[in-house]
Amino acid sequence: MAKREVVTQKLQAMLPEDAVCKDDSFKAGVVFSAQVPIGKLREAIKACDESEYYLESITALDFQDTFELVYHLNCYEAKSRIALRVLCGHDQAPATVSDIFPSALWQEREVHDFFAIRFTDSPDMRPLLMPEDADYYPLRKTFGTVHAYHKREKIYG
Amino acid sequence: MAEQFREPVVEHIYTLNLGPQHPSTHGVLRVLLDLDGEFIVKADPIIGYGHRGHEKMAENRTYKQFMPNSSRMDYLSGLLYNHGFVLAVEKMAEVQVPERAKYIRVICSELNRISSHLLWFGTYVMDLGGFTPFLYAFDDRENILDILDRVSGSRLTYSYCRFGGVTRDIDEQFIDMTRAFVKRLRSRWSDYHNLVTKNVIFINRTRDVGVISADLARQFGIVGPNLRACGISFDVRKAEPYEVYDRFDFEIPTGANGDALDRYNVRLEEMEQSCRIIEQALDQLPAGAHINEAVPFKVRPPRGEVYFAFESARGLTAFYLVSDGSPYPYRCHIRVPSFGNLQVLTEVLRGMLVADAISILGSIDVVIPEIDR
Repeated sequence: MAKREVVTQKLQAMLPEDAVCKDDSFKAGVVFSAQVPIGKLREAIKACDESEYYLESITALDFQDTFELVYHLNCYEAKSRIALRVLCGHDQAPATVSDIFPSALWQEREVHDFFAIRFTDSPDMRPLLMPEDADYYPLRKTFGTVHAYHKREKIYG
Repeated sequence: MAEQFREPVVEHIYTLNLGPQHPSTHGVLRVLLDLDGEFIVKADPIIGYGHRGHEKMAENRTYKQFMPNSSRMDYLSGLLYNHGFVLAVEKMAEVQVPERAKYIRVICSELNRISSHLLWFGTYVMDLGGFTPFLYAFDDRENILDILDRVSGSRLTYSYCRFGGVTRDIDEQFIDMTRAFVKRLRSRWSDYHNLVTKNVIFINRTRDVGVISADLARQFGIVGPNLRACGISFDVRKAEPYEVYDRFDFEIPTGANGDALDRYNVRLEEMEQSCRIIEQALDQLPAGAHINEAVPFKVRPPRGEVYFAFESARGLTAFYLVSDGSPYPYRCHIRVPSFGNLQVLTEVLRGMLVADAISILGSIDVVIPEIDR
């Protein structure tokens, strides 16, 4: 069985029925994206680790009403990339996954640099790309010139 | 008083700053090394010196205005990034590209990949103390720069691709120069192998040095030649074929041990595979337009997102674009291969000698401005 089927089954068993959204056309570059509640993030990432996926990228989107963390994971097979999406309020702190995937550590530090999202229980939250004394978070839509600051439903609704 | 001088030294760990300005770090990278004698106890790479904020710049520019930025992240494979960014936007906005343009892009991208690998080859061997191969490699690389300079007008930070094609068509002279270059490069392999690959000093400094196991590679998300050196045959050009890569016959070279020597061999073999792709593309090159003139000046992709992965010289690279339907991207995230490739140093350098640290750092081929973005 292909690894993407293994991980799909695992995530479907864990998440509510309508959370996993499949895309066989690979239009957005993923075979499926799953909305993961913030409390189940570590569990979902662990399932991916057990299915021999690797963590490709962590990034965040800033909306008026919420942050959205996007985790892209992939394995060494053709067209298998998946996306885990986590809604995270502006005052919420998601759990770190750097103990599951060591590569997450720097990526979480980068997200913290740019968005001021603090990952709980992270062993290292020093600035990575930003200067040590920076007191601004450049990729937040409240910083500098921006062309648009939408609510999430404006793009994904 | 005299006894105080004989007290045993308890604090025998000392910290060495490798970089930020050091010839072997290839960019502004600082690695804090905690040393016990000559052995590394802990390595902590410190990055961010070249952070320019490309992702924020993207939000303030139209897609077209951001295009020159794309080749300024990884300046050694700028055309590959340029190509990847254009493909990402084209996929999102569903832009039609003429067949000829697709082939031209592939030919130029593969030329750029060879030039990046040649530069790596030269500088890596120079890090290990051999200056002559560096001059050989730069002599060959100069040919590629001349070829690409003719069509794109730049030698390093190419902005040759456009949404719907390329800026200028290639001519007969370009094709002749490219064919001559491929022939010339093939005649040089024996020189390279005699000078470097069979050199006992080189082999002793690379074999079993900086071994990355397949499992460690997965944990750190290592991609590209570094991953293939561990024996995993994964290449975006095969796994998620984009452009016209599925029409060419080429192989994915792999190693077995994941040490510096394997990474060296994989890159050298990749140059030969790129030559094969270029030859096939030149043979199949269709006639026709080189650009789709109907593409609007301001591209407005529909609402939604795309995560477009492509194979740059250093591995899987991806543009993650979110559009709100306006000419400005709502978010542009760039997944860079060197990010994971550099982070693995924290694991791999532990217990190694300082001299090997230089060899390992060189063998994983990081480009720091790409990490800093």
